Amino acid sequence: MLETIDLNGIQSFYALSNRLNLNNVLPNKVTIWKLRNNNPLRKSYVTNNIKLNEFDALIRITVEMSKYLYPYIREILKSKEDLEENSVIWNDFNKRFIELIKERFNIDSMRVKKLLNQAENDEIIIKSLLILSFCISNQGYQKLKNLLYDF
Amino acid sequence: MQNKLSFHQSSASLEIIGLPDYSNNENKDQISIISQWKLTIVDKPLIEGKIEHLGPIMDAFYIYSNLLIKNDIPIYESKLIDIRAENLHLHNIVLKSSRPNVKPLVLKIGNSLLSDTINCFDQLNESPKVRIKKTDILNNFPKKLRFGLNKKIKFFNFFIPPFIAICSLILFSSSLIYFYSPFENIENKEQINQK
Repeated sequence: MLETIDLNGIQSFYALSNRLNLNNVLPNKVTIWKLRNNNPLRKSYVTNNIKLNEFDALIRITVEMSKYLYPYIREILKSKEDLEENSVIWNDFNKRFIELIKERFNIDSMRVKKLLNQAENDEIIIKSLLILSFCISNQGYQKLKNLLYDF
Repeated sequence: MQNKLSFHQSSASLEIIGLPDYSNNENKDQISIISQWKLTIVDKPLIEGKIEHLGPIMDAFYIYSNLLIKNDIPIYESKLIDIRAENLHLHNIVLKSSRPNVKPLVLKIGNSLLSDTINCFDQLNESPKVRIKKTDILNNFPKKLRFGLNKKIKFFNFFIPPFIAICSLILFSSSLIYFYSPFENIENKEQINQK
C-alpha cells in the first residue's frame, strides 16, 4: 500500500531504517527484500521465520512512512468520498495498486484475484489506508502492533 | 489567565482551555483543570461541551474507529454520542445535549475527517502539557479481548478431546457387557469337557 503511494518506496524504506537506527536489524536492501518475501501472496514467496526484532523494525518503518505520507493518504481517502468531484486521485491510486499487485503477486491465488477486482478491492484498500492514517502519532507503533496482533 | 493549547491535523483542530494545578507544583503552561474544549472540523458545526464530555467523546471515536478497521459492525451508541457508518466512506455522528429541549447535533464526516479527528485526540493524549485521564482503549481493549478468548479456546482444546475420548470409551465398553455372558461360557466349556 505504501509503495503504491511512494513511487520510490523501497529506497524510502531503507533510508528510514537508517534514520531510525535499525541498521543492525535491516543492514541492507536484500534483508528488506527477503522479509517482504514472507508474504504468501507474493510470487517470490519464501518461508523465512520473521524474528521479533525484524517484525518490530518493519512496524516502526511503516509508522514513520505513514507519518510523512499522511497528506497523500488523506487525499486518497478524500477523493474516494466525493468521486463525482475528484475521482482522478483515487483512480490513479487504484490503477497503480493493481499494476503493482500484477507485477509482484501470485495472480493465481484467489485472495490476489480479489485484490485485483476493482469492484471488491475498495474495502480492503480503504481499511488499509485508514489503519495507516490512525497510526501516525507518537504511539502509532504500539497502536499498529496491537492491531496486527489482533488480526 | 487561562492557558490555551491547540492540536491541529489537516482539517480538524482541538482546543483545550484550562489552568494548571498550582497546588501540585505544576508549571504555569500546564493544563490540569480543563474549563473548556472545542473541536473544530472544517465546514462542520463547532463541537464543544463540558469537560466530563470530552473523555466519553474521545472514547467513542476510538472505539468506533477500532470497529471500523476490524471488520466488525461499525456502530457506537451511548447517552452522549452515536456514531454509525452510512457506507464505507461516510460516518454519521449524533451528539446529544445533556440540556433538556436541545436538539441533537447531527454531523456527517468522511474517512479523511475521521482520521484527522482521531489524530487530534492522539496528540492530546500524548501531550505532556495536558493532564487528562488518558484514553487507552485502542491499546488495551483488543489485546485483553484477544487473550481472554485465546485462554478460553486453549482451555477447551486441552480438556475437551480427552474428556470426549474417555466418555466414548466408557459408552462403547458398557455396551459390550450385553453381548458377553460369563455363565454361558462356563456352561459351554463344561459341555465340551463332558463330551
